[in-house]
Amino acid sequence: MDTTQPSRHTRVTAQPAGTPHSESTPPGPDQRFTPPRRPRLTWLRALPLLGRPIAWTMPWPTLLTGCVAGTLFLAISAHVADTSNRPLDQGDVRVAFLAAIAALAFAPRTQFRPLSLATPVPAWVAPACHLLLAVPVLALTCLVQLRIMSHTIPLHTRGPGPALYPLLAELTAWCAGTAAAAAWVDRSRYADLGGAIVVPVTFAAIALASYLPVAARFLAQPPATSHEVTITWYVIALVALALTCLAMRDRWHRYARDVRRRSPAGRSRS
Amino acid sequence: VTATEGGPALRGANAAVPAGNDGWPGVIAGSRTRRPVLSLARWEASLLIRSALVLTGLLAGGVTTWILIGPAEPLWWNAAWKLGFGQLVLGAAVLAAAQLAAGRARRNGMADLYASFPATAGTRTLGHLAGLAGAAPASLVLLGATAAVVTMRGAVGSPSVATLAGGLLLVIASGAVGVAIAARFPHPLAGLLGALALILSSGTNHIGSGAGIWLLPWEWSQDQLSSLVAPLAGYPPVGAHVLELAGLAALAAAIALAATASRARARAGLATCGVAALAVICLAGVLQLRPIPTAELNHLVSGAANPASVQRCTTASGVRYCLYPGFSRQLPSLAAPVSAVLAHVPVRPGQPLTVMQVSSLYLPDSTLTHGHPRRQVSRWEAQLQQAPGTTASVSHIYLPVGSWPAVGGQLADARFDVALAAAQWALRIPVQAIGNPTTGPVYLPCVAVDQAREAIAIWLAILATHPPAGELQAGLTAPAGRPLVFRVSTGLVSVWNYPGWAGSYLAPAQPGPQTAAGYLLASAMMRLPEERVAHVVAAGWRRWLDVRTTDAELAAALGIPMPSVPVPQLPGAGGRARAVVRAVNTGPGGGPGAPDVPNPVCTS
Repeated sequence: MDTTQPSRHTRVTAQPAGTPHSESTPPGPDQRFTPPRRPRLTWLRALPLLGRPIAWTMPWPTLLTGCVAGTLFLAISAHVADTSNRPLDQGDVRVAFLAAIAALAFAPRTQFRPLSLATPVPAWVAPACHLLLAVPVLALTCLVQLRIMSHTIPLHTRGPGPALYPLLAELTAWCAGTAAAAAWVDRSRYADLGGAIVVPVTFAAIALASYLPVAARFLAQPPATSHEVTITWYVIALVALALTCLAMRDRWHRYARDVRRRSPAGRSRS
Repeated sequence: VTATEGGPALRGANAAVPAGNDGWPGVIAGSRTRRPVLSLARWEASLLIRSALVLTGLLAGGVTTWILIGPAEPLWWNAAWKLGFGQLVLGAAVLAAAQLAAGRARRNGMADLYASFPATAGTRTLGHLAGLAGAAPASLVLLGATAAVVTMRGAVGSPSVATLAGGLLLVIASGAVGVAIAARFPHPLAGLLGALALILSSGTNHIGSGAGIWLLPWEWSQDQLSSLVAPLAGYPPVGAHVLELAGLAALAAAIALAATASRARARAGLATCGVAALAVICLAGVLQLRPIPTAELNHLVSGAANPASVQRCTTASGVRYCLYPGFSRQLPSLAAPVSAVLAHVPVRPGQPLTVMQVSSLYLPDSTLTHGHPRRQVSRWEAQLQQAPGTTASVSHIYLPVGSWPAVGGQLADARFDVALAAAQWALRIPVQAIGNPTTGPVYLPCVAVDQAREAIAIWLAILATHPPAGELQAGLTAPAGRPLVFRVSTGLVSVWNYPGWAGSYLAPAQPGPQTAAGYLLASAMMRLPEERVAHVVAAGWRRWLDVRTTDAELAAALGIPMPSVPVPQLPGAGGRARAVVRAVNTGPGGGPGAPDVPNPVCTS
């Protein structure tokens, strides 16, 4: 099955909002399909009823697999660290958390988008709720991994180590960035591949942020201070969240190529 | 991601496989059934070659190799192994792409449709495995390009074909693992986690230790290959490692085929193959854990402890250069800055200067000495403690093997460091002095505070190497723009970070911190005609060697005003100032983790 073909739900051209079209005449290539207007915020009433189906459609196995895999890796590292007297540090937690990040990339996928578009509830509700459901799982994973890390530090050397809040800010920004990338890919022609596209992109971004000297000036300590790093990461997280919202509110798949050129009407016009 | 979607169900599958054939091993037997496998393999290989994931992996592998090799001195016994880690990154991408490709049918819910085709699941799996040949071009391109770069930089030694072949095998084995994962787990996350596990197992130094590092897919951070002066037999155990990778590839292929075979006979055959592959892996593991022969380690340690026994020495411009065999092409690069400095020195010290390579071999290191009795290891350690380069010497400049950069700005920095060290020798500036007598004698690089000879040494080094003016000027301030302040035994002093001050080009320590006053005066000297300054320096040479001759006296002799020097003061309280001080204090006992002790002032 070639999933790279354009969806039928592609907006073929830009039109002024509210362009009328009658039931009798199907929309032409230059006309935009206008879904039935729903009263503003009345869909909130249906939200409690959606709890169960949203929880059921949440990709729990994927998310949990990623979280458990990373934690397992860290546990094995901790076991080896205990025997070789090399305690784990925050860098190891970062590395282990990558598996959870990879799993998160698959969370905001909108299943049966054509069907959800026809319902009174906006299509973005389900992926947004999936992301919200993922938050406690990711937080728990982070907590467990930090516990594993601190367990490997010998008692007599424990002290005021490096601050945790920059690390938390960094992991939060990673999650937000991954969610944004996943939401945007879900709007693209590669929606079916979802996480398989998002994960390499996210990992590349993380690698660049960590190793590119220009980025390291703001995102790594030293040279930046803990406060500077934290603020920068949270700003990145906020921007990523805004981008996620923007992508989720978009109802249509976007393609790089101009579909009009491929349609007979487009060809005849040109 | 072309290898993951859009592939045909089977191109050339018209040559039907007899009913009930599982594809393995029956498909291999008949020429009629071999054709669809080859056809499918050809198609999958073409998809893999064009896969965006594989191409991204190729790019990432190239970048990784570039970072690992960097501008460092290229030693083939080290570089060839580091190229393998670039192959590991590519292998991770191939693993993910192969998993996506092999899991395509089940992931898209098309398993039933595929089952209705003449070719069986086993045939398709075999096609996917054979299609991994499509990853070979990317691997070979990466190997070829990086090997060409290393060769162009004048690498010492010769490449090991077995090591390079091991990198190619690693990529193929990773792809086979991806196909095996897809046979059971078609979700894309499975392949991504597999790729992550592949990289993390070798990328972190917590999974393996001692000789166990060779059991990882491709170790890169815990070896001492860059400190060796020549290849060491069995370090790394390349042959056994290649055998391990071949076993892993065979095991993964057997698992992938067994998961798709339906006949008991085929499964039994595959199980036998799997057990054989497992036995090969175990055998390879045992071979890799064998200790390095004592004779080899004896030779290694004696070469490091007594370099004169193996080094070849050459005298040029009155300076003795002693290099290990194979490193002679570094001689012009080393001799040029030293000769340029000494050309302006009217009277040299009585004790001639020797520039000598030393090994930075570190013991105890269980990756090297595993399997040897503790007493023997202690003996080797004792030998190494007597090696030249462990303590500073007035008439020697020590260069650790592997530290001399091949190209770029770091080479320029290293040349400046050598020139500065030679100039300090010529001006009798001691390398170290005893400092901090309250906590016991500690050797630290001494600082020539307000001594004319320091400015002359800096001037000589700048004249010999001509570093960019911007880089020199940047050494006056910290990255945040604050003036650099350094604490010496007599108080605070503004210092100048000379080019390459943070590098480890010389052993046991770089030249000590240089004062900002010394640099600013040297900079003013550079603006004067060279003949005029050279005449003043040569005319009063004995005077300039005196510890008590100040910068102001030198400036007066040159007929220039003494440049204004930033007043040394700590910016704010505590933390920031300490950070600046520690950043400069790089001598023995003065590293980042050392107590904040003031450096002594040079008094002899």
